[in-house]
Amino acid sequence: MSRTGQTGPYTDPEPRRITFDEWGELFQKIPDELIEQFHYFPPNREPWSAYLFPPQTFAIYGCRHLRRLKFDNSLAALRLWGFVQNETERLFRARQTGRRVIATMGDLGAIPVIVNSFPDCLAFYPDCIWWTPFVMESSVLLDTATKLGVGEMTCFSRAALGAFAKQAYFPAPDLVIAATGASCDDYSGIEQLVADLVPEVLWVEIPFRCEARNRTPADRTYAHQLLVAEYQRVVARLELLTGHRLTAAELQAGISRANRVRRMVTRLRELAYGLGVLPALEMMVIEFGNLHYYSDIDEWTTILAHLVATAEARARAGQRLHPVDAVRLIWVTPPADPLLLCYVEDEGGRVVGTEYVINQALVPIAEHRPGLEAIAESFMAASLIGSTRERIAAVFQQAIEHQAEGVIVSGILGGSHCAMESRLITDYVQQELGLPVLEFDVAPPGPELDRQTTTRIDAFLELVRSRRTG
Amino acid sequence: MTQWARPLGHLTTGRLSSVPLTPRERFGLLVIDEPQDRVPILPLITAHAAHAAGVSLRDYYTDGQQMARAQLFTQERYGTDFISLFSEVGIVAEALGTQFTYPEDDLPILNRPKWLKLGQLDDYVVNPERDGRLRVYLDAARHAYEARGDTVPILAYIPAPFTTAQQLVDGETFLIGLVAEPEKVRALLDYATRSVIRFARAVIDASALPILVDPLASGSVISAQHYQGFALPSEQAVIKFLHRYDLDVVLHICGDTTAILELMAASGADLLSVDQIDLATAVRQVGNRCRLIGNLDTTTLWLASAAEVSQLVERMVSIGKANPKGYVAATGCEVPIATPAENITAFVKTAAAAGKNPDWPLGSFEKSGLKAGRG
Repeated sequence: MSRTGQTGPYTDPEPRRITFDEWGELFQKIPDELIEQFHYFPPNREPWSAYLFPPQTFAIYGCRHLRRLKFDNSLAALRLWGFVQNETERLFRARQTGRRVIATMGDLGAIPVIVNSFPDCLAFYPDCIWWTPFVMESSVLLDTATKLGVGEMTCFSRAALGAFAKQAYFPAPDLVIAATGASCDDYSGIEQLVADLVPEVLWVEIPFRCEARNRTPADRTYAHQLLVAEYQRVVARLELLTGHRLTAAELQAGISRANRVRRMVTRLRELAYGLGVLPALEMMVIEFGNLHYYSDIDEWTTILAHLVATAEARARAGQRLHPVDAVRLIWVTPPADPLLLCYVEDEGGRVVGTEYVINQALVPIAEHRPGLEAIAESFMAASLIGSTRERIAAVFQQAIEHQAEGVIVSGILGGSHCAMESRLITDYVQQELGLPVLEFDVAPPGPELDRQTTTRIDAFLELVRSRRTG
Repeated sequence: MTQWARPLGHLTTGRLSSVPLTPRERFGLLVIDEPQDRVPILPLITAHAAHAAGVSLRDYYTDGQQMARAQLFTQERYGTDFISLFSEVGIVAEALGTQFTYPEDDLPILNRPKWLKLGQLDDYVVNPERDGRLRVYLDAARHAYEARGDTVPILAYIPAPFTTAQQLVDGETFLIGLVAEPEKVRALLDYATRSVIRFARAVIDASALPILVDPLASGSVISAQHYQGFALPSEQAVIKFLHRYDLDVVLHICGDTTAILELMAASGADLLSVDQIDLATAVRQVGNRCRLIGNLDTTTLWLASAAEVSQLVERMVSIGKANPKGYVAATGCEVPIATPAENITAFVKTAAAAGKNPDWPLGSFEKSGLKAGRG
């Protein structure tokens, strides 16, 4: 049996989005041999590293929202969810087994490529803890952040501060590398508060890319050189920490591994957004896997290969998850509440493109150039560090490519940049593409979506459908 | 950015001690072999919850909402780290056909077993949503989980096959059968195992963590040889099923289990809940393999003074927290219904103080060896 998708006697059912209870039933058909097949940190086979478990397992340990989501019914998706859901345990096990655990914050995609090039080092993003309050339907981390001085005025990413304080969501990092500068301003504030909880933060400046102001190529070169110099500091600090001198070959190998992931995610985007063979929820989880590979790039790579094989098989067989008349939508800014994606699909929507502010983690890194220069060059494409107009251009491109009929912008309550960008994106899309836009702030964590949001989504989808005939 | 107008440095590591872990966070660390801020605390409060919350016992064990309400009340009142859904060990046997009566102010009483003799099996497997009072537990789990599942682990006690089988036939006949008709007993155990597993699956679907309880397999009831030959294989079958879900399995056997402690560890359970045994012996014998839960004598908890309870708990925790695989400060068995509230409060407060981790918080940050300061 291959680790990437050949699953012996087990065969996926017809593709469908299924409920929590339906996964409970389906899991009874998964043979024990398959459960024993998949482990993180390969080739490790310790019993604690198995991860092919159903949503029921993670619900018992507090992930209450899982009971309300809908999931892809493929074995590859089960692997995906099992792997992602046990990342906390994986990080602690990493530490227990002698790996260095590095918290990377704010840059969303570049620095983990460097970290993972070091032997026995892995990077993770505390930033991604922002989903935890939603997945657990819990205010614990947000309340903790409030207690530490960051309240509702700040976006849900403040959950990361709560997690640092709790020391129960990831082990104490060997090092925290925090990007600041042209990153999310709310999150920069969180990083500053985290700095007071940990022994050391290595601050990394990321430059603003400012094409809109007609900067010269020399300006771009300067920004690129600044990034390279910052990455050199990262390498130097990691070498000090690990006592290992990073070779060019090791960095190139790290870049190759990252590129392999990026290529597969690009392929999955083509298949999912072009043909509708994977749900929007799993695709969001997949896209965010580009940031730090859920703390185990080797196993994440095999899971992606399994997903690609599943998606391609569906494409070949003409199997689709959505009705042919589903409303084609671009989603801008990742929804903190994953239930939103399920709801939109339940109501007849289909996501055909995304602008989750993480495109920098998707751009291939040139393998023929010196490593740090190539990583910096790749990062310079980041929507994170550019103007709103450039994010809008990415929306336009996808909207045209996939004949989108509408755009949803899910802002973050308290996220100061969201308040400004959401309005601008809405205006530009309406004016220049003539597409209807639904813009809303995601409500705080809870068991259900708030009624106002669902009513607006319903009305929006109805509006888009009415334009087809009108 | 105005919300960060305060000067940096206002947060100190000392302030983190005012950020306690939730019971769920604490338990989550325990089961992945990580230190916690203090030992988790689990007086086995079951029917006492009804007494404390002013719910009649019959309502408690026949109405899931009432069971949840009582459990939520006591968890909050005493500040324990778990919610324990349980009334008595006959529920699966009842769902299979054994008859119980329901006194207003007492726990159910076995009225008539399903069979009087061994060797009278059928093909039935319980339907947890329909049979007997299994639904009560599932409703209680759902209510408790909705109310507090993000912060407190919800435990649902599941009688093991051996204990269940013993209530499907006349008890004396069953015990004699261990010697006289062992194959018929094994067949009955297989029969019970199927329904126990079916119920366990329903508990999992209701998002509670199943705890396997096998009081009638205690060393106080049967020999170690009979435990190994009859009770253990059926416990292993259930635990294997639970491990399909990667659950951290608790096996609770009351009474004196000294002679079967090694065998209990061989069941595959991740946590052993022990009663009338020497805790230090348990630590020595199985502490490298299993987390331990236990084991204050419940009669003492009921009848002693709060001061005496505190003294005993302090000693117990000092022994238990040295267990290499981890420890939960608990009673050896169910808290008696009429136990004074101040004794339970004394148990919890003392266990929390005695079980505090002196290296918490930030012990691990400091141990990382990094120099403080900005890079």
